[in-house]
Amino acid sequence: MPDIGSLFIQLFSGLSRAMMLFLLSSGLSLIFGVMNILNFAHATLWLVSAYLTYSFFQFFSSFWGTEPWVLIPAITLATGIMFVFGMVIERFLIRRMYPRELPEQLLLTFALILILGDLIKLIWGVENRRIILPIEPMEVMGSFVNPYFFVIIASGCLIALGLWWFLHRTKYGKIVRAAVYNRDMVSALGIRIPAIYAGVFGLGVGLASLTAGVFLPIMPLSLGIDMDLIIQCFAVVVIGGFGSILGTFIASLIVGIIYSFSILIWPDGALAVIFIILVTVLIWRPWGLFGTEMRY
Amino acid sequence: MSNDQNHSVWDRFLPIINRRDFILTTLATGVMALLPRTVSSQSAQPYRIGVLLPTTGSGANYSERPIKGLPLIAAEINKRGGLSGKHPIELYFRDTQTKPDVGAREARSLILNEKVKTIIGTWSSAVAMAVQEVTHEHKVLHLAATSNSSKIVHENYTPYSFLFGPDSRMQSNATVVAIAKMIKAKGWKTYVTLGLDYEWGRDAQKVFVTSLGQTSPETKLTKEFWAKLGETDFTSYISAIMGLKPDFMFGAIAGKDNETFLQQAKASGLFKRIVYPGVFLPVTELMQQRKTLPRGIVGLARCPFFAHMDNPMMQQYVKLYQDKFGKADYPDDFACMYFDALNALDQAAAKAKSIDTETLRKALTGATINTCRGRLAIRDCNNQLDAPSYVGEVVDVPQYPFPIFDPKTLLVIKGDEVWLPSCEEVRKLQKKRS
Repeated sequence: MPDIGSLFIQLFSGLSRAMMLFLLSSGLSLIFGVMNILNFAHATLWLVSAYLTYSFFQFFSSFWGTEPWVLIPAITLATGIMFVFGMVIERFLIRRMYPRELPEQLLLTFALILILGDLIKLIWGVENRRIILPIEPMEVMGSFVNPYFFVIIASGCLIALGLWWFLHRTKYGKIVRAAVYNRDMVSALGIRIPAIYAGVFGLGVGLASLTAGVFLPIMPLSLGIDMDLIIQCFAVVVIGGFGSILGTFIASLIVGIIYSFSILIWPDGALAVIFIILVTVLIWRPWGLFGTEMRY
Repeated sequence: MSNDQNHSVWDRFLPIINRRDFILTTLATGVMALLPRTVSSQSAQPYRIGVLLPTTGSGANYSERPIKGLPLIAAEINKRGGLSGKHPIELYFRDTQTKPDVGAREARSLILNEKVKTIIGTWSSAVAMAVQEVTHEHKVLHLAATSNSSKIVHENYTPYSFLFGPDSRMQSNATVVAIAKMIKAKGWKTYVTLGLDYEWGRDAQKVFVTSLGQTSPETKLTKEFWAKLGETDFTSYISAIMGLKPDFMFGAIAGKDNETFLQQAKASGLFKRIVYPGVFLPVTELMQQRKTLPRGIVGLARCPFFAHMDNPMMQQYVKLYQDKFGKADYPDDFACMYFDALNALDQAAAKAKSIDTETLRKALTGATINTCRGRLAIRDCNNQLDAPSYVGEVVDVPQYPFPIFDPKTLLVIKGDEVWLPSCEEVRKLQKKRS
């Protein structure tokens, strides 16, 4: 039986996994909540951002050396570019999907996955890419932890707070929330809904890009990881409730921590446990833990 | 700082160039068909080979160098006129996406549409076994190297499949040989395993546990961990393993998952607490992780070029590869194994003086061939090459810009030391095929 120190480390691992899931899923949840668009290509846009951040990091490193702070301008630049790219995608592709059914949205965004995947292969090739920072393990309660996970947990909490503040404490956030419930009324007040949607989609992709940069020092980049991640994102968003940032945050905590302890107790069934929770939520509350019945 | 190689634009576009070559070849074939019979009958019949390797999914990273290297070998053979001196090799590349259904579909397409006579590949054992069904059905040769589940040459055996690397049983047993020495020296009592939850991972783990149970019965397995293929976050596994405090761990992890695990395990302090001998470290990993790989860990490889630089064939291949792709790049284990596979086909064709599939198959079965790992025999009861496994300590040396296995303590475990001892045992496992 593991000691208290080991159990704490396991809880810490679960928290870091939870924040990784939240960081990944927040943009997906925001886009669906506001626009009713199920962006299946969210994780692929995250992957494109990661490769872009990697390239900028390499470029800046040639001038300033491989210092951890060099990641900050690389992330900032990549996030800015991806924010604009997100708006462009919304303007020319997603906008045409608003009146269409969900299967058509999925088909379009799945086509984006294939196109962007091939684009990555053309530009960056198939070899794994990684950013190496001098991260040394830190001793906590007689065991070791990866100190970078404090950065991930802090990033997750900051983004959760930032999104809450944006949606509840700013004029634009209130417009976005109003548009979720009654687009026609918001439009009747003279507010340009297309601009709101483009901005939200850009913000969602920008969040994905920010996340990609945060993950880079602990996760080698390779083709195909987007497909592994998007399934987990959907599980989190469904459990939390589509469109609810708070729901996504709580669901990430539930999934991350339960998954972590399942590995310790019942490693063979760790993944199954997550999907048992997903199925239970779908049966009991199809709109998710924090989603609203009206949206459902 | 990244430790990626600086590839030229040519390298990055190579898969696309191959696709273009494919289109051009198809067009050329079409033109040939329109030429008068007298002209086409005098032309040499090309020998078409399908290359099934993933350029997406978990195996993409291990496929890059074979994809780059195979055309070089084909060109060398074609300089001599091709197979049997008169059948130039044509390569047709297809992406399996590391998916069994895609692999089987592409294999069928290559056989029926491109009329390939041999299929080389692939990375995942699950995909390889799906491909085996297709190659057996159509009586097409299948030369495997990266995929190495022991089932390929045992439970799923077909006389058309040949394996040019150590199978998972041989590889795990080689690890047992090395670990048994460490157990004796260090008095280890407990261990855990972490494997990828798919065909190869399960197979490699099972063979290791069984074999270690026989070799060192007092060493107890505390827990088995299984991570899904493509896992991006091993943190919970790492903390769980550290919490159990075993003396050592055995890993059946490969591809990009192996790299992800090593990077996260190092940063989480796993190697400060737990010994991890026998981690799969092909040259690909040694090159790509040269800055982060913990020195002193004991790794396992299947065909590291640095272990055979005294072999003229290996020297020639490394030179050929570097002339094309630069001195900073080296062929990895997978490129070397596929190099041997294509060369074995060339040697079999020279011996048989024919490119007929059945004749080639018989010539390869039980043959002794020249490889870049020395002169090795192909076992006649299951078509397994007597391929060594390499176990060694990761150290820096002045000759290379990345770590290698310490030449002074490198263990080369021959295939026949660790494969199933008798052909009777092998045949018991092989299923009856029509």
